[in-house]
Amino acid sequence: MAKRVLMVDDDPEFVETTKIILESGGYETRTAANDKEALVQLEKEKPDIILLDVMMKTIGDGVWLGQRIKGDERYGDIPILMITAVNKESGARSFHLDPSADGDYLPVDGFLEKPVEPEVLLREVARLIKQ
Amino acid sequence: MKNDRPQNTETPGPVSRPAEPLRKPDTGKRNPPGNSEPCDTAGPLARMRDWHDDFESRIDSLISYLQDLGSRSKQARVECSRNYSKIADLTRAKTRFTYEVSHEIKAPLAAVYNILNVVIEGYLKDDREKQVDLLTRARYRVREIIALLNDLLTLSLLEESTGRLKKEPLDLRAVLVPVYEEMQEYAVERQVHFSWQWGDELPVLLGSPELLRRVFVNIVDNAIKYTDPGGSVEVEARKDGDTFLFRVADTGVGIPEEELPKVFDIFFRGSRARAETKAEGMGLGLSLVKRIVDDHRGTISVNSRFGLGTTMTVRFLEYTKGGAGGETGTHG
Repeated sequence: MAKRVLMVDDDPEFVETTKIILESGGYETRTAANDKEALVQLEKEKPDIILLDVMMKTIGDGVWLGQRIKGDERYGDIPILMITAVNKESGARSFHLDPSADGDYLPVDGFLEKPVEPEVLLREVARLIKQ
Repeated sequence: MKNDRPQNTETPGPVSRPAEPLRKPDTGKRNPPGNSEPCDTAGPLARMRDWHDDFESRIDSLISYLQDLGSRSKQARVECSRNYSKIADLTRAKTRFTYEVSHEIKAPLAAVYNILNVVIEGYLKDDREKQVDLLTRARYRVREIIALLNDLLTLSLLEESTGRLKKEPLDLRAVLVPVYEEMQEYAVERQVHFSWQWGDELPVLLGSPELLRRVFVNIVDNAIKYTDPGGSVEVEARKDGDTFLFRVADTGVGIPEEELPKVFDIFFRGSRARAETKAEGMGLGLSLVKRIVDDHRGTISVNSRFGLGTTMTVRFLEYTKGGAGGETGTHG
């Protein structure tokens, strides 16, 4: 059975092209452009992985959504891969995956900076789903 | 003789004339004014009195000088700390701005890169139509980035206090007629009813023609863009008292109440953001428009009801030679 991806990102071209790449890798992809849509999609069908952008309309939208998802017992076990145009280290802010370190803690399981090479994307998705 | 210094006494500096008149020695009591009794005007006791009085008055002035210094230093400290926190705020704002700008440029570039990858790597196989569609959208995104960079440049020029964007007395008609013609065409394209009311007389404004044109185009373009076919956009451009009034009312989608306060924020993307935009409307959008209006000492305000439409009103003070063409207007 095909693995299911939920992609949450408000950039239409980025979403469409990433969907093309994921589908070529055999993944079924649903999309959501904001947190509300994402929660609706989650309820409809539980995905095997969530691709999440940090900034949607306002800074940190994605981080809030990530925390919301991780905190929900129904969805907390779904791996989240953050794909975003912000740097991991960008001067005032540094994102990372360790809740005990300094800076902004991202409640996610993987982090990729846009733009992402198709092979890298497919490899990361496969790795996180397997975990 | 009062000012003679005896040899063995140290004094901290040149002795100045005591401020007070001579007094009788010792009891601590002072003669009531007007009561002049003979007193010892020469001799060692008198001299000691003088030095004592003089010394006291110098101590008094020194004390008050130090107090004054102390309070000025306290003021200085307060001001220093106020300036320091202002600097810290501005630095934070600048960092945040840089962060947001880089995101605004990286995101569309990443989309373009993805599109190029998808086409080049053959993900679309022979679907020529799909390829052209994606590449067209890539081209559009590139124009967005260029528009943003142009706006950033304009913004930085505006912020330069030497004002390289020169202001001159403007014939408004010369600025507005091309705007009218261009927007008229756009309205026809969008099947939106377009009306433009010209005042009989348009005042002269002091401003930069390119920047003001940008303000007018941006506002009218937005109105037309966010109005569905069949709707209407009405423009008023006229003299109103000592101001120039530019008002644009549309029957478009309107702005939700919670978004209204953010309409002039940099990088604000409202929920009504739409794909089709003329090049000039991209970039920093209304935030740059407001900066230009502020820089021209004008006022801008928005009135809107979600689902019903939006009205934007801009006013500029009329330019009068040797007069106020630029004082702050509190009307709006």
